[in-house]
Order: sequence, then structure tokens, then C-alpha cells
Amino acid sequence: MIRFDGVNKTYKGGSPALKDISLDIQKGEFVFLVGSSGSGKTTFLKLILREEKPDQGTIYVAGRDIGALSSWKVPHLRRNLGCVFQDFRLLPNKTVAENVAFALEVIGRPRHIITTQVAQVLDLVGLGQKSTRMPDELSGGEQQRVAVARAFVNRPLVLLADEPTGNLDPTTSQGIMSLLDRINRTGTTVVMATHDVGIVDSMRRRVIELDRGTLVRDQARGVYGLGDEMHTSTSGLPAVPLADAFREFADAKERDRTDKKAGYPVKEPAHTETKPSVVSRSYSVKARRGNR
Amino acid sequence: MGLSAEYVAKETFTNLWRNRLMALAAVLTVAVSLSLVGTALLLRQAVNRQIGAVANNVNLQIFVNPGAANSELTYIRQEIKATPQIESCTYLNSEASYNQAKQLLKGQKTVLSVLSPATVPTDFRCQLHNPNQAATVGALFSAGIPGIYKVTWPGQSIHVMEQVTGVLQLILLIVAIALMVSSLVLILNAIRMAIFARRREVSVMKLVGATNWFIRIPFMAEGLVQGLLGSLVAVGIVLLSNWGLSYLSDRVQALAQATVPSGDLIVTEIIVVLIGLVVGVAGSSAAVRRFLDV
Repeated sequence: MIRFDGVNKTYKGGSPALKDISLDIQKGEFVFLVGSSGSGKTTFLKLILREEKPDQGTIYVAGRDIGALSSWKVPHLRRNLGCVFQDFRLLPNKTVAENVAFALEVIGRPRHIITTQVAQVLDLVGLGQKSTRMPDELSGGEQQRVAVARAFVNRPLVLLADEPTGNLDPTTSQGIMSLLDRINRTGTTVVMATHDVGIVDSMRRRVIELDRGTLVRDQARGVYGLGDEMHTSTSGLPAVPLADAFREFADAKERDRTDKKAGYPVKEPAHTETKPSVVSRSYSVKARRGNR
Repeated sequence: MGLSAEYVAKETFTNLWRNRLMALAAVLTVAVSLSLVGTALLLRQAVNRQIGAVANNVNLQIFVNPGAANSELTYIRQEIKATPQIESCTYLNSEASYNQAKQLLKGQKTVLSVLSPATVPTDFRCQLHNPNQAATVGALFSAGIPGIYKVTWPGQSIHVMEQVTGVLQLILLIVAIALMVSSLVLILNAIRMAIFARRREVSVMKLVGATNWFIRIPFMAEGLVQGLLGSLVAVGIVLLSNWGLSYLSDRVQALAQATVPSGDLIVTEIIVVLIGLVVGVAGSSAAVRRFLDV
């Protein structure tokens, strides 16, 4: 469904956002895209949407080279891609139903189809009763459900989600995840960028990990951080928002230290599954700071 | 792409209303600028007609010395006959000339008191086949024919008139063009504000795959409507100034012919509306191009 073939992307004046990424995502797969901030997850999604173009390499969506797509055909590509974001991106001056209907209106669907499809999809996300509410009258989880409904109302081939649970508490996140799971089981491919350890670990789906633009792990039924032995120690922990900030100055020195202390084999990786997880690393930093 | 007229109309007018002050400024500037353009065009047509009228009546006036001998007059008559460019001439004898002078100088008793039929120059009023040849023919008569006091042709006064109105028109047009540029910028800015106000909607539209034109057209229609409204106001103002012009020409003898026929007026108004539409579309498409990256 989605294929990256030797994709490189560098933003102007910056270090590479993606380096030589090649991978294949099959129809109907559920893929987690993990990695710290700045690792290239969002760029990965933007490339699929063709909000950005790769400097090198080719990206295929549904068998078509989207780099070769003329710009007036891009909207038609996007009609096959649903999108959900951390910040919901609902229109504050439209009701729930209008927000969802908007996605169909602007692609010129006839009114009677809009009415029935909007009602259907709102039932699917469990908001059938709240269709006339305004977004700011809803909880964060409900707003995200509306966003998912809007992304899915056109029955896209692929649903892209950029940290859809980033603003939500764990319980609400679970609700969103089961919704995405349900959508995935209708045959829709789901690609979700996330920091949420608990979710990745409990879903046990394919995990693609990026680190500073490089593909460091592609695991069929993976967890957020490490392989299984590490998984037991981190599972159930909530995602740590500070992790990324700490990671910056924790980096090189801290890695050595942890390696020695923990004693698990890290020999600058032949394979990446053995890399220490971001979470455990940053936790150790936090602990160290606390001890001072 | 399913872009219904109803959708565009709805979007356009909600946008206009949301941004009404900016829109009003743009519309008024368009109106003022186009009024000047329209008035300049009207003025030009009126002057052309006035000039044409003068030119058609008398192309050449040959004044004869007061009390010229009959032989001299006969010679002049012969000369006129011999000149192929002259179509026909009428001679105003001293009596008729004196009467006309009395009429023209009514109220100026002192001037009239020194005039008498014997001291007033008589004149031939001639039509030429081609009024443009007045200067050539005039030169022919003013040189060396006995008894001729002087020869005038309206070319001279027309020239002055043309110069004055030409300068006037130039000033009007320069002001109009300056205002047109500023109305273009105002429309551009109004559309830019509208784009900014709706950036969330636009980003969602892009995300769910609305086509570029679907996103652009309501904004461009907004500019078009602003240009149109401005030009409609200008149409009204041009009508008023035309009314003023005909009021003048009814009362001022010298401008008796300075009216603009309704056909020309309609053409002027159409030009005004077209310019308004062009300004609106140009301003908004520049804004869309510049500030709406789709």
C-alpha cells in the first residue's frame, strides 16, 4: 500500500530528516512509527501526504509514484488518505456533524450521501448523540473521535495518525486506540506515529523506529523500546513527555554509563533491537538529577 | 469537482461580511478611482463632440476690411470660387455683421458706441470639404489678397481647448491610475485577511483533498464582488456627472454641443464595470497566489 524506496529528505539548512528509508507497508497493516522528537516521524507522514517531496528516492502509495503526481492530482491522492493529529484540528465554528460533513462537502459529494455517511461514521465513533454539539463542548477524547470520524468518513485506503493520543490521558487513549483498531479491521491501513509506550506495547503491532532520520528497527510484533526482556521493565509506564528534552543532553555520555551499569550488550548496534530505550535512558537521567 | 454556485456565493458573502470594513475600504477606493476614469472618458467624448460641432459649422472665417471696395470683394469671391478645398461660403454684409456684433457685445455700451455698420469688418464664413485643411487654405488667403483684414479658422481655438482638456484628462487619469493601484492593493489585502481568517478551514480542506480551485475560487470571487460593487457605485457617479454635463450644456452657449449620446455613455459605463472586474480579479488572484499555498 505504501512503499518507500531509498527515500532521503533534508530540510533547507538542516541535518537530514530522513536518510535512505526503504520499507513496505502492506494493505491492512497497522504500523506504529516510533522515535524521539526530531527523528523524522512527522516528515515520514508528510511525505506520504505529499506535503513534502523527497530529495531522493521514490514513494509509492497504492502502487503509484506520488512524486510523479502533478500538483493538481495531489488532492485526489489525499482523498485516499485520512489524517488525524495530536491537536484534533476541528473547526471551532462548526458542529460535530458539520465538521465531519465538511470533509465530504469540499470534495463535492452530493448532499444526501453526506447526510447518511456522516450519521454512519458518527455512530461508528460513538458520537451519534452529540452530532449537534460544538467542538469546545466536548472532551479531548471526544474531539479526537470527531477528528477520526472526519478522517474516516470518506473511507480512505490509509489512515495516518500523528500522535493522536498525545493530548489524551491513558484511558481516553485506549478508547481512541480501540477505535483505530476497529477501523484497521475494516481493511484500512493505519500508520500511527506515537510516543506512547503503553499503547505500542499493548497492541503488539508492527513497529518502525526512526532515529535521527535513520530506520533503526522494523519489527513485526514489536514494542516501543527494546526486545522482550526490556519490555517487561518498561511496560505499563505512561509516556514521559520530558523524555525528549532530557534525551538531548543525556545522549552520548549517558549511553556509556548506562551500558556499563546495566550490563546488557550494546556494541553500537549490529541490530537495533538491543538499543537501550529512550525511556529508560531518560528515566535514569531524571533519577540522577533528583539525587543531587 | 463539484464546485456549486451556491457554495461559492455562500462562502463569498460570509467572507465579505466577516471582513466588512476592509471590503468597504476596497470598494470605495475602486468606486472613486473608476468614477475618475469614467469622468475622464466622458469629458473626452464631450470635448470631441464640441470640437466636432464647431468644426462642422464654420471651418474658415475671412474678415474683410471695413469699407472695402466692391472690386476687392468681387476679387475675394473669385478667389474663393477658385479654391477647390472650399465647399461654400456665406457673406455677412456690414449690416448683418453689425447686428451680430451688437448681439455679442450686448451690455458693453462703450464698445458699441464706437462701432457702426461702417466700422465693423464684414466676413465670409466658409465650409471646407475637409476641415483639417483649414490651415492651408487660411494661409492662402491671409497672404497678399487686397482688402482682407484677417483670416481665422477655429483650429486655433480648438487647439487651445484640446490642450486644456488634454491636461485635465491627463491629471484625472494619473489620479485614477494611482487610486486604481491602491484599490488593487486594498483588495489584495482584504483577500489576504480573509485567507488568514480562514487558515484553519483551508488547512483542513487541503488535508481532506479539496482541489486547489475549490479552495481558491471563493476568495477570488470575493475580490471580483468587491471590484464589481465599486464599479457599480462608479457607474452611478458617472451617470451623475453626465447629468451635470448636460445641465451645463443646456445653459452655457459655448458647451451647447458638449453632451454625450446615450450610446457612448453606455459604452463608458461598460468600460468602467470591466475595469472594476479586472481590478478585483487581479487583486484577489495576486493575494491567492501569494498567500494561499495550495
